[in-house]
Amino acid sequence: MISMGGNSNSGHLQYGISRRTFLKFCTAMAGALALPKSAQSTIAKALAAGPRTPVIWLEMQDCAGCSESFLRASSPSTAEVVLDVLSVDYHETIMAAAGFQAEEAKEKTIHAGGYLLVVEGAIPLAEDGIYCCIGGRSAVDLLQEAAANALAVVAVGSCAAFGGLPKAAPNPTGAVGVSEIVKDKPVLNLPGCPVNVVNLTASIVHFLTFGELPAADSKGRPLFAYGHLIHDNCERRGHFDAGEFVREWGDDGHRQGWCLYKMGCRGPVTYHNCPSVRWNQGTSWPVASGHGCIGCAEPDFWDASLYTPVKIQAVTPPSLYPSIEVPEQPVSLGSAAVVGGTLGVIAGVAGSAAYRQLSKKGAAEGEITEEEESPAAPVEPASSEEKKE
Amino acid sequence: MTALVETLKLRQYPIGIGRLIVWFFAAAGVAAMIARWAWGLGITTNMVDDRGWGIWISFDILTGIAISAGAFTLAAVVYIFNLKQFYPLVRPTILTGFIGYLLAASTLLVDLGFPYRIWHLILYWNVHSPLFEVGWCVMIYLSVLALEFSPALFERLGWKVPLRITRAITIPLVIFGIVLSTMHQSSLGTLMTIFPDKIHPLWYSKFNPIFFYVSAIGAGIAMIVMETHFSAQAFRYKFEGPILAKLVKAIPWVLGLYLVGKLADLVFSGKVQYVFAGGWPTVLYLIEILVGVVAPIYLFSKASVRRNRYKMFWSATLVVFGLLLNRFNVSLIFLDGAPYLPAWTEILVTFGLISIGIIIYDLAFRTLPVLQHAHE
Amino acid sequence: MTIDRRSFLKLAGAGLGGFAVTDLPKPSQPSLGPTDGMALLYDTTICVGCKACQVACKQVNGLPPETDEQGIYEMPNHLTGKTWTVIKLYQPEGDEPWSFCKIQCMHCQDPACVSVCPVGALVKESNGAVTYDTKKCFGCRYCMAACPFDIPKYEWEKNLPLIQKCNFCAARQAEGLNPACYDACPTGALTYGKRSEVIAIAEARIRDNPGRYVPHVYGKDEAGGTSMLYLSHVPFEKLGFPTLSDQPLPAVTWIYMKAVPPLIGVVGTLVTATYWFTHRKKGPESGLETGPKEESHDSAG
Repeated sequence: MISMGGNSNSGHLQYGISRRTFLKFCTAMAGALALPKSAQSTIAKALAAGPRTPVIWLEMQDCAGCSESFLRASSPSTAEVVLDVLSVDYHETIMAAAGFQAEEAKEKTIHAGGYLLVVEGAIPLAEDGIYCCIGGRSAVDLLQEAAANALAVVAVGSCAAFGGLPKAAPNPTGAVGVSEIVKDKPVLNLPGCPVNVVNLTASIVHFLTFGELPAADSKGRPLFAYGHLIHDNCERRGHFDAGEFVREWGDDGHRQGWCLYKMGCRGPVTYHNCPSVRWNQGTSWPVASGHGCIGCAEPDFWDASLYTPVKIQAVTPPSLYPSIEVPEQPVSLGSAAVVGGTLGVIAGVAGSAAYRQLSKKGAAEGEITEEEESPAAPVEPASSEEKKE
Repeated sequence: MTALVETLKLRQYPIGIGRLIVWFFAAAGVAAMIARWAWGLGITTNMVDDRGWGIWISFDILTGIAISAGAFTLAAVVYIFNLKQFYPLVRPTILTGFIGYLLAASTLLVDLGFPYRIWHLILYWNVHSPLFEVGWCVMIYLSVLALEFSPALFERLGWKVPLRITRAITIPLVIFGIVLSTMHQSSLGTLMTIFPDKIHPLWYSKFNPIFFYVSAIGAGIAMIVMETHFSAQAFRYKFEGPILAKLVKAIPWVLGLYLVGKLADLVFSGKVQYVFAGGWPTVLYLIEILVGVVAPIYLFSKASVRRNRYKMFWSATLVVFGLLLNRFNVSLIFLDGAPYLPAWTEILVTFGLISIGIIIYDLAFRTLPVLQHAHE
Repeated sequence: MTIDRRSFLKLAGAGLGGFAVTDLPKPSQPSLGPTDGMALLYDTTICVGCKACQVACKQVNGLPPETDEQGIYEMPNHLTGKTWTVIKLYQPEGDEPWSFCKIQCMHCQDPACVSVCPVGALVKESNGAVTYDTKKCFGCRYCMAACPFDIPKYEWEKNLPLIQKCNFCAARQAEGLNPACYDACPTGALTYGKRSEVIAIAEARIRDNPGRYVPHVYGKDEAGGTSMLYLSHVPFEKLGFPTLSDQPLPAVTWIYMKAVPPLIGVVGTLVTATYWFTHRKKGPESGLETGPKEESHDSAG
């Protein structure tokens, strides 16, 4: 299974993996990398050739979830094959050695150079990095030392890529991702909480085959895995377009597998390939299980509100058609009541005044008498007012 | 101030129920206007995409400007036709007219999408637009009315030179005012001619400009009756009954001309069948014509009505009601569009502006020499 | 000259009747439309309802998405303050044929909206587009009332709302590009070109495909002609198009607006003459221009 040193010329055969299985793996990798089928032979050649590339796997502020994810691959273990192609010289959780021996192995590899540096976990910067010390040295220090001589740096998991959980507000340890510290060489970010082993494996295979890290987006994430929105590849997209949304956990829509947008699914703003490659050898993924995506491949997702619908950026056509008629905009009952009431009050006041003034008595009062034919002085206002002057 | 002209002292502002109600509505109206400015028309009105014009247009602007036509009508009667016996009515009517136009313009401050761009009418011209014409005429006419009323202010302030100047230009102002009013009262009708396919045939006519003009004159005179009655009641002075009795003799002629015109238009455009086609158009048309035009023609031609203050007042109410119904029918009820009833905030703004108008009128009456008498 | 009441009434009636019968003079100004601007033809028999045009319009113009009352995302069910064009579906009961219909501003040759805007915020450009100047508009909404097709929509939810309507991609046309909807259409349901040519294409289609279309190009003459033309296999009124005469609407108001300057002169003269006539027997101080005689003021003449 996992071994240290040696070369892989007959590695896969030694470990009981048939050529057929090996080639199937290479085809799968070509698929994951979105390469044409013909790349399969290139990959096979690369993996079968040469001395195994050493790997140093550092764990900083991590939960080892990404390592676990890596180890979950089992049939016939992508991990197995890759590890026979790679020489994992240092990995705290899974290496056999411990203590000074382990540190010595690492230093030897660093000194020799030509290794792949994989980093898992965030790196705390507060108070000189005191919050993560391994073997008496701070994580920052260890990272800078290891990165100096590395061929390439791969940050696995959201913590190493963007700071992840340790960076969540209020970030007491001053945690940052690897690319905040390693500036002089390209860092491939493989966010995900944990990272999807298929993406990690494919990235490494790409590196080994082509000698360079795969093309990445502005956040350093390989495009083959993080180039599309989850929303655009989701199997529940039809329900979104048709307006069929889950509105409450356990309601009918939930039972029928309707879209989880209104339950806060962050698929529309998350770039990841979960709908395609899924988890645990394609068993399932969060949306298929009935919970919205939490957007773990995006920076700072721990600080985002989990159950509030996200703002959708791009416009796409809906699946239904509005009918020719102009949509109805009925008058509200409240307005009808207010208008009716107002008119009623006006009519009432006017009606009663009219009734009073046009009754026999009122009409008599209103008669304009003859003496008033000529213009006269106006009636004095209440004479008391005049006297007060 | 001479013995002939009385003013009521401002410090004796009587706070009664009536004034409390008016002040309440004025304040509520201002609050509603602030709400519109803060939150937009969508929340504070029931206007929607296929109903872009609501009661602020139909009532505040169309009806409000029409019933303020008494100002130019009376100015014509007194100054142009030289019928001096109506002189005592002039100042209150000019004041009412001025306030009426002021309120119509103030409504624009809430109704316009960009109230602070109201001055764009001065900068950007489109002479094809009836609304351009209305806007300019109203702007200028508001100044004319202010100048026509200014002698009352200058008398109170004792400013002799401005007083002499404004008095000297009275006749040119009156002539200008009549021209302007003729223009914009009819242009309000022209506003409605651009949608032949959207207004019910009973209310759409190529001659709407003429109908609007004539009906405005009739309603203007009716408004003079109503306003004289209310003032006499509120300020407790003599109701100018005999003068009004003579003035309202014109109403049957004006409304008669209007009626003949409308009927001729119906007959010669082949629209008579719509009158009896049933449904709301028939009901509202008959109410508008019978209650608002025919009844007042009959009533005002009777000497017994003209001899009685209350009978005159209520007959005048019918005329104003008929005009209001006509403007609503043309611009709202029978203009195709989304169903609409005003929101309470729209009603509040309308009542609020009317209340502010009443407050201004009240204060003006109390502080300025508005009441006057015929020249000996 | 004496005239008895009966004859007077007869005369008055005849006069008014005569006035009512004669039609108002025909408009003397020609259509405001450019002689041959651009036009867009929409053919209902080719449209498949993919809504690429609707989406392209939103993307190119940066318009926000909108949700209908059921919560369906980006489902405008009519033109609104956020949607300039929409594909609608006419689906009758029974065996009658159904049809899609794309609606947007018709870009009339002699637009009512252009003529009624008091500040001239709406303009008919030489390329046929009716464009809207957001800086001039003060929000009177006369254009909304005047449009015979009920096109201009309003941003009611804003406290400084703008009119929203298709602008025929005037900016793109100025750069030599095509309207976004035309570029997006995958089936060729939209045809874009000079108006005369597009009309010719439309009429040729009717001629060459008897029975396929309602034999009329909607927009060729309606309201004086529009730049958005329609060919349909179902009657146009079923698609929501109003039946309009050929008369451009601005012609109706122009008769009155043109009369304003002469009317000012006529009324002014008449009124002044009346004043002179009624004051001619008495001296200058007989007029009321001085107000009541006040002891404390000079009675100015």
